[in-house]
Amino acid sequence: MAKPRALYPDGDSPDRWEAQLRKGALEMAALASLWKGRLYGLEIIRFLENHSSLALAEGTIYPILNRLKLEGMLTSEWVEAEAGHPRKYYSLTEAGRQRLRLMAEAWFGFARGLSRLLEPVLEKQEIAK
Amino acid sequence: MTQEMQIENYLTVLRSHLGPLTIAEREEIVLEIGAHIRDSAEQSGASMSSILARLGPAEQLAAQYREGLLIRQASRSFSPLVLLRAALRLATRGAFGIFVFFCGVFGYSFGAGFLAVALGKMIYPSHTGAWVQDGRLVSAGTFIFGVSPQAHEVLGIWIIPLGLILGSLTLLATTWAIRTSLCISQRWRARL
Repeated sequence: MAKPRALYPDGDSPDRWEAQLRKGALEMAALASLWKGRLYGLEIIRFLENHSSLALAEGTIYPILNRLKLEGMLTSEWVEAEAGHPRKYYSLTEAGRQRLRLMAEAWFGFARGLSRLLEPVLEKQEIAK
Repeated sequence: MTQEMQIENYLTVLRSHLGPLTIAEREEIVLEIGAHIRDSAEQSGASMSSILARLGPAEQLAAQYREGLLIRQASRSFSPLVLLRAALRLATRGAFGIFVFFCGVFGYSFGAGFLAVALGKMIYPSHTGAWVQDGRLVSAGTFIFGVSPQAHEVLGIWIIPLGLILGSLTLLATTWAIRTSLCISQRWRARL
């Protein structure tokens, strides 16, 4: 059911806000998908679909991987596959691991703080139900 | 149209829109996207049309790579033209970009203005300065026809180092602000 527009006087909506939040987390998610080892683009997309709620337009991930590689966060190598064409595998560099650790710390710190702030909001909702 | 023709068409459009990138970069991108399409077809068994739709239009995909290149070049550049061009591209994406672009235009204008005043004092010393009347600043800058005779100039020759310092600082701060904004925007521009 559509939410009443009056609740969002600036014309913004929770859906749009959530999309912005997910966009901001995409780089971290792409790095996290490579934490346990190398993957190629399609595997990264499937990994994100299965392990997170990040349903993304598939073409989006490749320019991000390209940028992270240029920033020295990832390395890549072409590997001949049984499929008959080579696949480009990505791995985290030490700098990428370090950035991901910092991002994860910041993420959990931020989430813990906000959870404490938001707990009363959800408790009130429970009582109302 | 066969599947292979659909793939080739998509990759041809992609390649033709990757113009500013080097040939090696272009070919690597085309090879990677080609592998993605063929793997998707083999692994999912979905129709080629739906695979290409999930990937997004080739022009749009190429635009994301091009934009990445432009912002990457700009985030290392000190050229106001390169930075403003990247900020203008960012401005087409929303309010944040428009804000960055206008801040850039104002920042560079003010910076250039301060430097011009310093230069003006060297060329037209009697027509350049900061004039005060009744304890209030009434004019500052270079004035071809002079200012009110009741006003008196307060900074004298010191307006030269002041203009040079303020101009340089404003230009540097504007450059830093645009470059930082471009880096931030790149992390938030993914299409979900």
